This record gives sequence, C-alpha cells and structure tokens, in this order.
Amino acid sequence: MYIIQTIINGLLLGGVYALLGVGMTMIFGIVKLTNLAHGEFIVLGAYLSVVLAPMLGIDPVLTLFVSVPLMFLAGFLLQYFLIGKAMKKGNEPALLVTFGLSIILQDVMLLIFSADAQHINTSYAVASIRIGELEISVLNIVLFIISISAITALSAFLKYTHTGRAIRATADDTDAAALTGVSVKKVYAIAMGISMASAALAGLCVGMKWTFYPSSGGSYLLIAFVVVVIGGLGSVPGTLIAGILFGMAQVIGGANYGLLISYIMLLIVLIVKPKGIFGK
Amino acid sequence: MSEPILQVQELNAGYGDFSALEQASFSVDHGQIITLIGLNGAGKTTLVKTIAGLHKPTSGKVLFMGEDITRLSAEKIVSRGLSMVPQGSRCFNRMSVHDNLLMGSFPKSARKHAKETLRHVYELFPVLEEMKKRPAGTLSGGERQMVAIGRALMARPKCLIFDEISLGLSPAIIKDIYKRIIQINENDKTSVILIEQDTQRALRTADSFYVMLKGKMVLSGKSNEVDAEMLKKAYFGI
Amino acid sequence: MIGKKLGQRDVVVLDSIPMLIICIALVFGLYLSCITGIASNNAMRYMIQIFLFITLGEMWNLLSGFAGMTSLGQQLYIGLAGYSVAVMTTKFHMGLGAGLAVGVLVSTIVALLLSLILFKMQGMYFSISTWVVAEAFATLFLSWKFVEQGSGMTIRVVPYPRIGEICILSLMICVVAMITVYCLLRTKVGLGLTAMRDDITAASAVGVNVFSHKLIVYLIAAVFTTLAGGIFFINKGIIYPENGFGISWTVSMIFIVTIGGTGTVGGPIVGAVIYVFLQEILARYPGWSNIILGIITILVILFLPTGIMGTLQKKLRFEIFSSKRFSFAKHK
Repeated sequence: MYIIQTIINGLLLGGVYALLGVGMTMIFGIVKLTNLAHGEFIVLGAYLSVVLAPMLGIDPVLTLFVSVPLMFLAGFLLQYFLIGKAMKKGNEPALLVTFGLSIILQDVMLLIFSADAQHINTSYAVASIRIGELEISVLNIVLFIISISAITALSAFLKYTHTGRAIRATADDTDAAALTGVSVKKVYAIAMGISMASAALAGLCVGMKWTFYPSSGGSYLLIAFVVVVIGGLGSVPGTLIAGILFGMAQVIGGANYGLLISYIMLLIVLIVKPKGIFGK
Repeated sequence: MSEPILQVQELNAGYGDFSALEQASFSVDHGQIITLIGLNGAGKTTLVKTIAGLHKPTSGKVLFMGEDITRLSAEKIVSRGLSMVPQGSRCFNRMSVHDNLLMGSFPKSARKHAKETLRHVYELFPVLEEMKKRPAGTLSGGERQMVAIGRALMARPKCLIFDEISLGLSPAIIKDIYKRIIQINENDKTSVILIEQDTQRALRTADSFYVMLKGKMVLSGKSNEVDAEMLKKAYFGI
Repeated sequence: MIGKKLGQRDVVVLDSIPMLIICIALVFGLYLSCITGIASNNAMRYMIQIFLFITLGEMWNLLSGFAGMTSLGQQLYIGLAGYSVAVMTTKFHMGLGAGLAVGVLVSTIVALLLSLILFKMQGMYFSISTWVVAEAFATLFLSWKFVEQGSGMTIRVVPYPRIGEICILSLMICVVAMITVYCLLRTKVGLGLTAMRDDITAASAVGVNVFSHKLIVYLIAAVFTTLAGGIFFINKGIIYPENGFGISWTVSMIFIVTIGGTGTVGGPIVGAVIYVFLQEILARYPGWSNIILGIITILVILFLPTGIMGTLQKKLRFEIFSSKRFSFAKHK
C-alpha cells in the first residue's frame, strides 16, 4: 500500500515539476537561450497570486485569469525590448543578461515583500480523499489538474494554431521560417510570453504546495533545469515524463535526499545520454 | 507590363571586412525566367539572400513591383510576393509535410487562399499528398526539395527564387523538378530566378542569363544568343 | 571606430620592460605597505577583498573569456576550500597552511573527476551542469553531520593570523594567479584556447587537443579559486553551506569580468576594484545593492560589450598584458 501511495503522490506532484520545466524548455528549444531568470519568474508568479487573491477576493486558482495574461505581456516586452537586443551580441551576453535580471528581480521582490516566508492558502489545503487504504490530498489533485491541463493546452496550441506552427518552424530553422513570412523577433517574444505565463501557473502551484521566499528562485530554476535536461531540451512530452520521474525521486528520497537523488539522476542522464531522454 | 517586376541596382554586401557583392545589378520582367550562374563563392547566394532580406546590404537598391524593399525584413518581403526556395531545401524537419506546406501560407495575404493553394500544390506534386503526415526530416533529398518548392508556392508568390535547386540531386530528379518549375512559370505567370552551377540546364530553361564572378556581374544576355567561348571566359574569369 | 581598422603598428603593447618595472614596483609597494603597517587595517580589509576578487575574476575570465567554458559553479571550489580549512583546523587541530594544502588537494581530485563528466558537455549544458554540481555539494554539506550540517563551522587556530599577514598572502596569490594566466595565454596553449573558443570543431580538426586544453584551464582555475576561497574564509572565520557554495560567488565573478572586460587580462583588475568599492557604497542602501549591480551589468553588456578595459584598449589603442602573441594582425 505504501508503495502505491508513494507512486500516486509522485505522479501527482510530477505534474507540478513538469510545469516548472516547461517554460524553460520552450525558451531552450525555440529562442535557444538559457534563461537564468526563470526561477524568479516563477516566484513572481507566486507573489502575484498572493497579492491578487485577497485584492479581488477570489480563490487563488482564479487569480490565474489575471496573472497569466499579465505575465505573458511582461515576457513579450522583456524579450522584444531587452533580451532580444542582448542576443544580437551573442549567446553569452544574453545568458548574462538573464542572470542580471534574476538578481534584480530577486532583490526587488525582497524590497516589496520582505524576506518572510509566504504561502498561498486555500480551503482545501489539508483536505483529502480516502479510497480504501489510500489517502490522496485534494490539493495534490488540484495541482495535477492545473499542470496537466496547462501542458496539454500548450501542446495543442503548438500543434494546431498558425502561431504554434510558426513557433515550431522557428525552432527548427529560423532563416527558413523568416522566408515563409514569420517574424522571428515576434515569435521569440511570444515564446518568452508563454514561458512567463507558464511561470505564473507554476508559481501558483508551488505557492499552494510549499512556502516560498523572494530567494526561492534559484532552487526552482535548478529543478526546472534538472527536469528539462532529463527530458531533453525543447521537448514538451519529455518534460512531462521527466517531471514525473523527478516527482517520484522527491517522494521516495524525502526532504533530505530527494534533491540529491535528482541531481545524481541528472548527472547519470548527462553521462549516458547527454542530450536527455527525449533529446535528438 | 513594361516595368520589370524585380530590379536590383548596384547592390553591395559583405561579411565583416570581406565584400561578397560588388555593384551587382540585374532585372527580371513579369513572367520571365532568368538564371544567375557562377562558380562556388561567386556571391550568388549572398545576392539572393540580400534580396530576400536575410542579409543586409551595405548599399544599393532592390525594387519589387516598383516598391523599394531594400531594407525590409524577410517576412515583409515574402508577404509582398517575393519568395525563395533556399539552398539545401531547409525544410522544417520535425514538422509533417502538411505542416511544412501550411507554414508557407503564413503571410496574411496567403492565408485566406490556403486551402485552394494547397490543392494546387498537391496537384503539382501528387507524391507529397501521399506522405503528408510524415515528418519532413524523413524524406529523400528530392522529396524535400518538392516540399520546399511547395512551401514557397503556398505564399502565392509573383516572383520565385530557386537557390541551387539541383544541388545533390540525381539527374532524373533534377529533370523532373525543372519540368515543374517551367509548369509553375507557365501556369501562374510567376517570374523565376534560377541560381545554378549547372549552366547547361539553366540556360536551356531561362530566357536570359547573368554570369557572376567574385561578387560582380561579368556577363549577361539572352539565353538563345549565348556565345559559348565568352561564357566560359566569364564563368572562370580567364 | 567604424571603418578605420587597426594595423599592427598602431597598437602600443604595454608589456615591455617599463611596464614590468611598474608592475614589480607596484607589487613591492603594496607588500611594504602591508608589512610595515603603513596601510591601515581598514585599507587592508579593502585590499584583501580586491586581491581575492581579482584572482577569482581572472580565473573565471580564463574559463569563460578565453576558453569558452562559462562555468556557473566555481563556488564549488570556494566552498571546498573553506570547509577544508575549517575541518583541518577544528577537527584535526592543524595549521591554516595544512588546511589550504588539503583544500587544493581535494579540489584537484574533485576537478579531475568532474572533468570526466563535465567536458562531455558544451555550451549551456556545461554551464548548467557546473551549477548543479555546486548545488549538489551544498545539499550534501547541508545534511552531512561531520561538517555540522546547516549550522556551519568556525575556523579556529591559535594564534589567528593578523590582517596584515592575510593581506600579504592574498597579494601573493593574486600576483601568482595573474602571472600564471599571462604566461599560459602566451604559450601554445593560449593559442589553442583562442582557437577553441572561436570554433571548437575546427580547433580539434587542426590538431588542438581539446580535452587536455580544457583540463589545464579547468585545473588552474580550480586551484586558484580554492586558494582565494580559502583565504576568504580564513579572513571571515566561519563558513556555512549557503555562503560557501552560494551562487552569489558567481554573481560577483561575472560582474567583475563583464564590467572589466571579458577576454582581457587587465579587465578583472578594473572590475574587482569597482566591485569592492561599489559594494561598500551600496551597503548604505540595504536591499538595493544587487539591483544596482544587475542593472549596471545589463547596461554594460548592451552598450559596452567589451567592458571598460576592452573599450579603453580600442579607443586608446594600447594593450596592457597583451595575451595575444600576434597583436591585431590585419586580415584581408
């Protein structure tokens, strides 16, 4: 029974870990950029929900209707006016600009929200469903539903819409995409917008599950990295599988060894298959 | 109809200190096929990349249907009706043939006719319809060229540039593809620019020709009045 | 600057005999001021910081700017150094020298082992992996009883070295580090590194042994980063997993090198001096320090991509400590 319980918990949390990685993997795959500020984007998303929920007097989950568009816009503008400019100077300058952004964001959040631990409270935070001897937390189910529907929606968007096709084409070959009439600059901005929007979702999820601080970005970024590299850069389904593997490792390893297990997992993947399980 | 569809005037371009294109000029009339021939490294690809907006010129002018498109970005040039089939086909390898073709109709002007144009493309290359679900990366070289041509046609271009379309293909496939190009030119009245190293075939297909050498236009004329000796001298620079 | 290209003769390379004399005099002057106590304790406090940050900057620059290995995990060696010193002094009651020696030994072994894994990767994979390794060590030390887990360790030796001694030690390490980088870049290895940075495939095709070049650079960087890190913690007296293996070390290295000028030997000196004084000024505005550092870094990357040193070198047409064996050879 314990084993089944663990597997279910790992699976449910795996959705959240995949969500942490999915925004990062998009930027890797499409913009070909390592976004070191992604962790701070996630924390920013969490704070947005913390602020918006009491302000609008709604359930934290519903704040997504405000925070997701807001973060999309921020990502779009950020890429269009700042990161895109840095990318013209080369890969490393762009990497360092995102690094700069990460430390700026971290301290701006520290100034606004102080270093106190934060948590997004919901009425169902401690509720659980009993099935036979299994006890499944309602919160975990909510998180899983949010994550999986977001990732499914993103996959469908990439697959079936004009913009989605343009994004995939740009990821494949930027010059050829430009020759079919795609504005690469705009596609990059949209990709960053989506990435930040996914960070809003991920932020809400981690904020409901765990406590967070302005300085939590680093650890989220690292989780995102691990998930993304295990899954293969730029692969959305790979990210989902990797997220679930990561979730299992966390649940099995517990608070002390969970992270360590996943780091070791990552290093093994890197040695055996340096481009990730689903990498090409 | 007297005005040429594409006019390139004294175009200069380069990479850093290296100048790849010096004072290149040529023009294409409506419904005409022209060919640009020259050795490897003569600047042909730089020239068409500059026209298509993938490379920025240092000076000179490109006029398309009377409009100055010199500094426009590649995607704006496509939506004006000037498309290019890039060297090495450059399909979107991870996307299906169908999606590759749909990508071709990305410009707003082409999007509303997408269904109709797609049928047209599948008529021209029936083999593509049979394999429309397959990822482009799994196709053969010739099939990939067809996808690239089809993709360019989806934008409903008025002028189409083929950059070394026969590179790496077998003679039988080259012959077939050339047949399609002539078909495209005759049926849709699309102007065609062929960039080639295969001089003989290009000259047989084109109405007029330009020879490039070391970034300069060194010879031009009507294809049917070409002097073999002069062509050879211009081509090799001897 | 556009249009006019620099010819070989236009560039004054300032590593001639007079420059050497100036450098020796400067180092000697600094040495004397520490040993005689001319420099106040406060001045020496700054000097220690500057010397150590120059060392860290030079090493990160060697990795990233010259060898194209952008590491985000050099803090690994700083943490290992700090903990080696702490463990040797508190647990085994040895001197600081032994602590540093053990630190260098541990770092060398770790670096050798890691090179087997890390060098398989390029670009962002390398960057990510270096950081992950550093974080893995932080996690390990956080839960390792022998090193007191998260409560950290103090460095206890009797007698504790005076600040003057620490300052001289930092100066020595800084000077040796700079000489090492300078000499390395002027050898054939330097040439190979430049080739690798520009095009790694082409470099290996012309016979540059990529692995051994990377290994040399990575080991040198590990050793000097360890020494500098060890002295930092001797000066500080206490170490925690978070500040030993913290990413903020990389923040400062990146700042120093970017501001000073990536790929110049003189750059990190300028960067380190600016960094240390900026930190001091910004300490008056708590909370704003990293925001301002970040904004400065981004502005410099966007508008001064070659950093202060690189821009000055181009504008004034001189080079201090030229790393190039062929300065500005004009290519057609």
